[in-house]
Amino acid sequence: MGDQRSFVKHVIKKGIIGIVVGIFLVGLARALDFPPVFQVMFFTYAMLGTAVFILLDAPSLQPMGGMKALVALLGFYVVLSGVYIGGASFWPQYDPEDEKGKIEKLLKAKRAATEQGKAEELLTRTKALAEKADAIMQRLQSVGGVAMASVPVGADSKRPSGTLPAATGDLVALGKEQWELQECYNCHKLSGQGGKKRGPEMDNIGSLMQPEELRQKILDPRSWMAEGFEKEYDKKKMPDKYKELMEDKEIDALVAYLSTLKNPSVNTPKPIKKK
Amino acid sequence: MTATRRSLLLTFVLLATVATAAYAQVPSPPAAEFPYTGNRTAVWIVAQLHILFAAFILGAPIFVVISEWLGYRKQDPRYDRLAKEVTKVTVILYSMTALTGGLFIFVLLATYPQFTTWLINHFFLIFAVIYPLLFIAETIVLYLYFYTWDAWKGEMKGRHIALGVLLNIIGTVTLFVIDGPTSFMNTPAKAAEGLSLVEYIQTASLWDKVYNYSWMPLNLHRLVGNVTFGGFIAGLIAAYMYMGAKNEEERAYYDWMGFVGNLIGVGALLFLPFMGYLLSFELCDYDASICPYMMADQLSMFFEMQGAMVGLIFLASNYYIWLSMKRIEGVERVRMTAVTLVVMVALPFIMTYVWTIFPVPDPRSLAVLVPLTLAPWIIGQGMPPIGRITVSSRTVIKVGFLMVVVGNAIWMTPHGFVATQALATEHLELPSDWSFLALMPAKNSAAFTLIFVTVVNYILYNRAIRQGTIVWGKIDFAAQFVLIFLAFSAIWTMGLMGAVRSLVRKYFHTYNLMPDFTAESFTPTLSYAGWWITGITLIFYMVVSFAIVVTLRASEAKAPERAGDPVPAGAK
Repeated sequence: MGDQRSFVKHVIKKGIIGIVVGIFLVGLARALDFPPVFQVMFFTYAMLGTAVFILLDAPSLQPMGGMKALVALLGFYVVLSGVYIGGASFWPQYDPEDEKGKIEKLLKAKRAATEQGKAEELLTRTKALAEKADAIMQRLQSVGGVAMASVPVGADSKRPSGTLPAATGDLVALGKEQWELQECYNCHKLSGQGGKKRGPEMDNIGSLMQPEELRQKILDPRSWMAEGFEKEYDKKKMPDKYKELMEDKEIDALVAYLSTLKNPSVNTPKPIKKK
Repeated sequence: MTATRRSLLLTFVLLATVATAAYAQVPSPPAAEFPYTGNRTAVWIVAQLHILFAAFILGAPIFVVISEWLGYRKQDPRYDRLAKEVTKVTVILYSMTALTGGLFIFVLLATYPQFTTWLINHFFLIFAVIYPLLFIAETIVLYLYFYTWDAWKGEMKGRHIALGVLLNIIGTVTLFVIDGPTSFMNTPAKAAEGLSLVEYIQTASLWDKVYNYSWMPLNLHRLVGNVTFGGFIAGLIAAYMYMGAKNEEERAYYDWMGFVGNLIGVGALLFLPFMGYLLSFELCDYDASICPYMMADQLSMFFEMQGAMVGLIFLASNYYIWLSMKRIEGVERVRMTAVTLVVMVALPFIMTYVWTIFPVPDPRSLAVLVPLTLAPWIIGQGMPPIGRITVSSRTVIKVGFLMVVVGNAIWMTPHGFVATQALATEHLELPSDWSFLALMPAKNSAAFTLIFVTVVNYILYNRAIRQGTIVWGKIDFAAQFVLIFLAFSAIWTMGLMGAVRSLVRKYFHTYNLMPDFTAESFTPTLSYAGWWITGITLIFYMVVSFAIVVTLRASEAKAPERAGDPVPAGAK
């Protein structure tokens, strides 16, 4: 009983110290311009530390056995499972829907080139043809012997939605899409957004490189090096994979887009020819 | 019939003919579809279960044979008993490894037939000859090792230990061999100059495919991870048996076994962050775009969760040492130089600075790191009077816990509270002056601090048992829950990192080489992964618990028949 009373006192004492430390950390974080979410995080760390120090001086757990131990064990597993699932759900979640469309676009050409892709395309066309045949039959039955002006064109004029940008011929828009799909922004900053440590900013690259040179760099990253990025060049930071991953027309589009980037106010490093 | 009707009819006939011909060309039936989970998750569950069982049967024999050797050398029968009991559980779980392995292949063939066939064709010699032969050899040696335990004692003990070493050699080779195709899926061999990757892979030798960028890092990571995992499972066995122990003698033994299991688990765990770092370093070296995908984009929050798990594991393992020390009589006499406290507190800050100037693997950072970590021993031993200022072991451990919390905080501080950088805003990101907290030098320093504190705690423990008297069997009962927590958390973390290693391939079965055209090739949410990882962990736990109860509790019930208890050679 005495042990329990002293432990309660201990919890209160440590709890108060923990809260004071937490409040101090929040105040410090605020003074150092940390956003509120980080202030909450620092407070949480203070509470974690408090829990640890409370646990260190907690009274000993009495031995248990038989059914009591089994129930305690099962309860412990339920708590652990709940905490870990809750913990995993607590962090910000990536929305897979953002990725699904991208993956479909990225793999479309590759899928079409496979036997399965060809079969699927044939199947799609066949279904469209079968629908068209049905429509014609219905039309035939409804008109009897009367000549028809025309067959409805709506169904057969429809193309898969993915081919629409190509049909418009907007090469630059397609190139911008490739910039996003290939995640070039992870290493190259553009319009103030994206990474900049692994690769140079690209805002003025169109003034510094000809389309053919840009194409050469994408296909063979060893062919050109950005001034000041010698270390990254030596470490082969730019992946040598785009010749495998991208179709010719996709590279053309990306080159067309990069060629339009002519913002002299941004200091895009000078390209140096290496091959 | 009018011309229009005739032309419409002709069109219909033509269309119908084309349609029939097209249907006739449709390839073989599609892959099987798992209800509820979907195909990818079905493969995930079976593969992860297989890896967990395999990790135990490959990791446990490493310390089993060491334990057997220690028992022989020290003439301490407890080591031999530990080794034999863990081997009993290993034998049961060995069959589960084979079962889940077979199931894994069946599920893979049913759900991804084209890819599976493609992979088997590329590694035909491994899958059809080398791996089965190794598996058969390992089966024979494992059973021989187990069933000769009581027969090969005394003068023949050395022979038995040699058999255990052979078992480990075969197990390690098996691991290295199967890591070939596994690592190939992450980092297929880089194409020779002038060839496309597809062309190169067609002509590459088996060795070219096996010896890829991530093969050796994966081997090392798994080898160390398996020992860690095996150690914590040994701790779990001890905790179960301690809870069910009927007398003081049994409690004393399983208390000791729990301590040894935790020591093995933690000992190997100290190397694990470096092995993980090496693996991710090689992955990033293979393709720099993998790095942002892991650390800043879709998988960034998986690594936050990993940080939380590693932090909890270090907290728990140090708490176990704390509980262990509480039952040592005379522990209050143990003291340590105050320099240790200074180094402990300064370490994360100094090392973050040093590793920022000299990033890993720049060896110049060692010029600071080595003297700093050795300072407590150098100054403490040879530089009076500074070294003579001492503090109690209790103070050292409490400051250590504070630094473990600080280390965890640094490890878990993200660049931004966003799942992908595309969603980052200044309200969710670290201020630019403090962005270094999210970079690798800070994370490495945090990991190193956790390791340093743990090593110091074990040194203190070692001094305590030399200066005091340890009372086995009298440990705080909460320690058993700590052992169970460690095993559960280790399994959960393995599941999490297994998911990460697979997801790093993005929308490819084999990175950049064999795309996954199914609708499931996206990155799942961490929450979704958390549910399945927990489910897998619970299934594994149920099987392991069953194996422990069947092998150890049942044999304990027949104690009077246990005439042939293992006795090391020379222990007359």
